[in-house]
Amino acid sequence: MGQALSPGDRIQSHPAFAWPTAKAHGQSAVGEAGIWYDSRIVLRGSVVFCTLSAAALAVGLYGPIFDVGVPAGLVFHHENSPTPRKHLIETMGGGVALLDYNNDGLLDIFLVNSGHLGAEAKESFDRANPRYWNRLFRQNQDGSFTDVTAAAGLSSAGDANYGMGVAAADYDNDGFTDLYVTSYGRNILYRNNGNGTFTDVTARAGVAAGGWSVSAGFFDFDNDGKLDLFVTRYMEWDLMHSKSCGVSPKIYCSPSEFPAASSVLYRNRGDGTFEDVSLASGIAAKKGKALGVAFADYDDDGFADIFVANDGMEQFLFHNNGNGTFTERALEADVAFTDDGKRMSGMGVDFRDYDNDGRPDIVLTDLARQTYGVYHNEGHGAFSYRSLPTGIAALSGISSGWGMRLEDFDNDGWKDLFVAQGHVMDNVEQIDAGLHYLEPPMLAMNRGGRFERRDSGSPQPVAGRGAAFGDLNNDGWTDIVMSVLGGKPLVFRNRGGPAHWLTLSLRGTRSNRDGFGARVRVNGQSQYVTSAGSYLSASDKRVHFGLGAATSAQVEITWPSGVVQKMDDVPADRFLTVVEPERP
Amino acid sequence: MPALLIILLLVWQSPAPEALAHLKGGGDALSQGRPAEAVAEFRRATEAAPELPAGFVGLGQALMQSGDYQGAVTPLKRALELNPDLPGAHQLLGFALLASGYANEAIPHLEKVQALDALGVAQLKMGKLAEATASLQAALAKRPGDVDLMYYLGRASGLLSRQTFEQLRATDPESARAHQILGETYAVLHNTAGAEQEYREALRLRPATPGVHLELGELYSAESQWDKAEREFRAEANLQPGDAEAAFRLGNALLQQGKVKEARRELERARGLAPGMADVLYALGKAASLDGDKVAAEKAWLAVLDIEKDGPLAGQAHFGLAGVYRQRGDSAKADAEMMEFQRLQKAVR
Repeated sequence: MGQALSPGDRIQSHPAFAWPTAKAHGQSAVGEAGIWYDSRIVLRGSVVFCTLSAAALAVGLYGPIFDVGVPAGLVFHHENSPTPRKHLIETMGGGVALLDYNNDGLLDIFLVNSGHLGAEAKESFDRANPRYWNRLFRQNQDGSFTDVTAAAGLSSAGDANYGMGVAAADYDNDGFTDLYVTSYGRNILYRNNGNGTFTDVTARAGVAAGGWSVSAGFFDFDNDGKLDLFVTRYMEWDLMHSKSCGVSPKIYCSPSEFPAASSVLYRNRGDGTFEDVSLASGIAAKKGKALGVAFADYDDDGFADIFVANDGMEQFLFHNNGNGTFTERALEADVAFTDDGKRMSGMGVDFRDYDNDGRPDIVLTDLARQTYGVYHNEGHGAFSYRSLPTGIAALSGISSGWGMRLEDFDNDGWKDLFVAQGHVMDNVEQIDAGLHYLEPPMLAMNRGGRFERRDSGSPQPVAGRGAAFGDLNNDGWTDIVMSVLGGKPLVFRNRGGPAHWLTLSLRGTRSNRDGFGARVRVNGQSQYVTSAGSYLSASDKRVHFGLGAATSAQVEITWPSGVVQKMDDVPADRFLTVVEPERP
Repeated sequence: MPALLIILLLVWQSPAPEALAHLKGGGDALSQGRPAEAVAEFRRATEAAPELPAGFVGLGQALMQSGDYQGAVTPLKRALELNPDLPGAHQLLGFALLASGYANEAIPHLEKVQALDALGVAQLKMGKLAEATASLQAALAKRPGDVDLMYYLGRASGLLSRQTFEQLRATDPESARAHQILGETYAVLHNTAGAEQEYREALRLRPATPGVHLELGELYSAESQWDKAEREFRAEANLQPGDAEAAFRLGNALLQQGKVKEARRELERARGLAPGMADVLYALGKAASLDGDKVAAEKAWLAVLDIEKDGPLAGQAHFGLAGVYRQRGDSAKADAEMMEFQRLQKAVR
């Protein structure tokens, strides 16, 4: 029996479409079932409780969704140092994370830098030079940002590490979000000290990995309440054995020129250390060319499964056997290839339910002259390839996609698709005049399971790479931070609209504190709680739902512990923190 | 063959013993791969018996074997002066002249012995493109795997095509066909805007010009503009309802947009127009599969495999069949199809 929530929360006026005007908010009360009533309830001008007018609907359907730009204080330039030698790492970097590192209720931005590449193949990237630092930007109350990298202790990324991506989660369940930065070289785990600073605990934790790591994500594969860590590795490659391909022009080599590598799975022991269980779990048995990773429980057996986006070969779907091991089942599940049996250059990935049938589907981005893959979860462990019927194939034939996510940007109850785009080769026009290195990102609106292109608002084409998603100004509408290879990041500020929404923050007690792996159902939609997915990036860990015209919601949360929590008549347009009951 | 030629010549020429010895020495040296020695021997033979064509033929052949094609021309010509009816000498002289860049002079000698391969090349060099295409096609029919012949035939037919198009444009530069050709040229250069403009102009001048909508549709397909492609393919299909390619392209454009049922109808029509097209059958299977009709998909993909045993389309058909059988719960058949798919994948690699 769900519990009805009564209104009466403090409602704060908020000028519609303003940016940035977020306020700090305190959490006000704890409900009987552990439901926190958050006072961050935002009225969107005068239209919130009005019937959706035709004019408002027209704005929602046809007007631009995002204002795109760079907020004050977000001063960052990604340094990839392209060379005539065309080292592959040059074109692959640019991770971004959205996290609230200081628990002030506002999302902050962490951007991964790459490093200096000289004429010689030196395993040193000048990372001590501030130009090549990763950067943490704290969001201020007025929506501007302040660079707190040095104060937070994040300036040293290790000189031998050419930066790639980032994962974000509270791995030690202390209530503060930690960071894991991947590199060509040694990865770094930064523990959040809870006082605005971080400590490099990589050595003690045992998670340096090595080689060329790309995307990573925290998840709890054994449901023991402690977040484990999955790290994708691209291939066996190093600067000494780097090579370029082509003669005139020289181009970045295809991954087929290099041997495959295995990804890494670290089990969290709960004492600040991790155990490398790649071999024991079966993950290392499959060598791939992994760039992206996403988690979901696709067969509803209560255990998190892993989808790995591989470049230029079959994709991997690691089914969690529930006993600490995984079995790779992409072929059996029909997600290894396209429906033509063709390999894809998998890069970014999301594992989310796009058609509201309650089962997580898979969307995969890849290179131009392929089409993005949409795998519809048919139940019983099987998928069907749906790029054509969803319209995604028609939208992606000449685009190359990286960071991405299925997210309801217009709060109509259907998850839309945003993809950071740009070809891998900076001279692709010389190879194929029909393609472009710089591309605008793709925004495709979901109309009942079929996607339609819409202007993302991006002012110019860029080499998009990472993309993180979250509600920067706490207005109930999802924003985006997209990294640009060798450039400045872009922030896509959602203009909002008349539809309603609900955003949940989960706090696990028996489960991991972030509630990662919980399945949340709201008014017929479902979300799997995770900050992973996309490419090189980590998103807001809060769970967002668009409610359309509905002013209340039925909420059901299935925690990784197995506890099921239900709430009826939850009023729309608010942030709720839901605490997992300590007893079932 | 030239060694045999020399022997035959000798049979009825009764040369002097000294010349005969040099001819034999030259022949032996040639057959044993010592062309320099052969040249010397044949030269002595021509000195000992200057009225004997065999010595000049041998000398020409030996010089050619040493790589001195130009040097071979004079003795071979001398041989033909002495006896104009020596087919072998005509053939050698044709080759030598062609290799030395005298294609025009080579042609009558090559024609005389119907050496179609070299004749085709010589005609190509002289810009006799229609004749070259015919000669090379006939030569390739005799030696189907000869990549050099394929190259020259491709080049000759390409140039012939260009020449004809240039003639067309010169005849009527403002005709629909002239604009269509310009559109094609722009399309090859990936100048989509230019190509589109020319195709549109062609259609303005003569709306029912066959093929223009098809090419315009292909232009949009390459840009992944499937809605526009569909419009053009549909226009072509309306113009030429019996054209299987137009029906296939329209079906594929519909399929790419996920309009599965419409695609299926159009692809069925394409199959009716051209029952043996594996591409049509494969796409039809795919449309049927997306439409949930696995039985029809299976039938279409099996038909693909009747036509194509190997190659990418066969691999795709096996992959599709594996999915059909897996969904049907027939894991043995699914595994067998998957094995075939993987075998063909390895073959492609």
